[in-house]
Amino acid sequence: MNVSTMNFSVEPCTQETVIIRVGKALDFRNAAEFKTVCQEQVRSGVRNFILDFTDTGILDSTGLGSIFSLYRQVSPLEGQVVFASVSRPVQVVVQLTRTYKVFRQFPTVEAAREAVL
Amino acid sequence: MDIVHHRFRDLNTIIDHVHGLFDRWNAENRFPPAFPENARYLLRQVVHEWIANLVQHADFHDREPEIHIDIQPNGRNVHCVIEDNSDGFDLNTNLRIREAMLEKLPERGMGLLMMERCTEDLVYYRAHNGHFRLEFSVSADKDPWMDIPF
Repeated sequence: MNVSTMNFSVEPCTQETVIIRVGKALDFRNAAEFKTVCQEQVRSGVRNFILDFTDTGILDSTGLGSIFSLYRQVSPLEGQVVFASVSRPVQVVVQLTRTYKVFRQFPTVEAAREAVL
Repeated sequence: MDIVHHRFRDLNTIIDHVHGLFDRWNAENRFPPAFPENARYLLRQVVHEWIANLVQHADFHDREPEIHIDIQPNGRNVHCVIEDNSDGFDLNTNLRIREAMLEKLPERGMGLLMMERCTEDLVYYRAHNGHFRLEFSVSADKDPWMDIPF
């Protein structure tokens, strides 16, 4: 897996809501890219982010920090960051950091979409 | 699973190689059943965080980086040694600084604390050969958690 060649895929739901397919890894190698992608979305009016972790095998502290950064950006705008289809390795990090207290989790992207819209 | 030893020299590819090893060990059922999946993910997380720390912050001067990883399963525990030829640093002091400075919803500074919470007997010291050694154990009997300010 070469993370440096990976891009995050962004799928618009509405003007204010997008799904971000996190892909295989969100870590120190691509966290800056993730932040840039999210900042561009916020600048264009997006407030709600559904993070799809279906294929994610790595979420490290830097990756988690970039999600916290996104949350700090959209919270004052009454936006949301939610987790969908959380893979087992990501769930281990969520449990370790008690991040479920901050980010609502949904079993599927569709369930997250219904809850957010 | 017997003790495994791997040596790495390329900081650009080491993370991918390490995860590739873990994927292979899992596919081949190399970890003992007494060391379950969650514990394996925690071990992998700790190794990842440390390698990420070395890749981003370690000072090797003009030396070619050399990183050795030894993993030794023992029932419900796995002992791990990661040796490097960097200049090293004072892990304990850094841990306490990061703990004291951890802000609400922190963007940085969680990696070493994450490692500390997931492990037992975590030490980083200069070995007889002049290299620095990180040693720790991960136990299947531990349910670690981090106190991050939200």
